[in-house]
Order: sequence, then C-alpha cells, then structure tokens
Amino acid sequence: MKKAIFVFIIAGLVIAAMLLWYFSGGFNVNWQEISMLAGLVLVISFAVILGVRRIRSIRNNQPAEDEMSKGVVKQAASTTFYISLYSWLALMFFSDKSEMETSTQMGIGIMLMAVEFALAWVYFNFFGKINE
Amino acid sequence: MPGYILTFLVRSMNNRIRELRARFGLTQDELATRVGVRRETIVFLEKGKYNPSLKLAYDVARIFEMSIEEVFFPDNGKNPV
Repeated sequence: MKKAIFVFIIAGLVIAAMLLWYFSGGFNVNWQEISMLAGLVLVISFAVILGVRRIRSIRNNQPAEDEMSKGVVKQAASTTFYISLYSWLALMFFSDKSEMETSTQMGIGIMLMAVEFALAWVYFNFFGKINE
Repeated sequence: MPGYILTFLVRSMNNRIRELRARFGLTQDELATRVGVRRETIVFLEKGKYNPSLKLAYDVARIFEMSIEEVFFPDNGKNPV
C-alpha cells in the first residue's frame, strides 16, 4: 500500500511540475513540447494504472505483486532494453542530420525508453507470458 | 509420438482449473487468495496465457486435493485424465 501511495505522490508531483512549466512559459507550445507532453502523460497514466491495480489487489487480500506480475515486468524490461539499443542508434543517426541540442536528444531517448517499456508491459500483460 | 520428443515440443501447459474451480465452488478471487496470487494470474492460468511456477502449480493442485499432473497437462490437445 505504501508503494502505491508513493507512486501516486510522484505522479502528482510530475503533473504539478509539468503544469508549472507550461504556465510559466506562457503556454507557447511547439511540436517538440507536445510530443514530450504526450510521452509524460503516457508514463504518468501507466504509473497511476499500476498504483490502482496494486491497491485493488491489496483490498482483496491478495498480494500487490506475484510471480506473474514480476515476470511480466522483467520480460517487458528485457524487451525494452533490446529495442532501446536500436532506438538509441536511430536517434544518434538522426542527431547528425538535425540541429537538436544534446540535452533534447537525451530527453527524447529517455522518453522513448519509457514509452517502449509501457508498450511492452501492456503487450505482455494482455497477451500473456509463456515461460520458455 | 514418443514422450521424450513431446517433452521438447511442449511450449505451453493446459489445465483444468476452471472445471475444478466450478466443482469446488470457488471464484477466481477466492482461489487467488488461497494460493497467494492476484486474480489476474488465475485468469491467465485458465486461459493458458501463463505457465505457473512449480510452487504455484503445487499450491493450486493442493487446493483441489489432486496431483499436479491431474490439474496441469501439456498443450497437445490430450487430457490425460
């Protein structure tokens, strides 16, 4: 339960920081900021969904995590690592062709990894994980 | 097909959990609580989307007062029971 509450607190802080950033900048958005915002919304939604699932399990006197949920996370993480190798290579290739700042490229790379993990987790959580 | 060849071809396991759950009058929630897992794990087990660990298979079989082989069997279309 403490871990789920911690996740909600972190998500709330990220949302607050995001809103502060947008309103302090006069809400001038371009495509880069919109894509970063979309990635942040996806990650926060993922964290909130996980927190809700944990609380629901605890309320039903079931463990917040069990062998299957831990296995899905491990499988998603390993798949994300494998895919991110190629996405980082692609990002490095395109960075030579564009005039993006290094910090922006790193932010995009990290956001890509978070999105890849969320998608991989959704895939294994819905289609199952056969232990091979 | 010889058993030793079948061993290498098995990719997923099938089971009688849904049938046994109905026989024992257990809901998915109740079975999940008894074996110490989440309800989603029982759902995935019944659909054949997840192969349980040895411990989980043993715990589930113990709830139904059966051996592991009577509850879980290879997904080759044949129920050995």
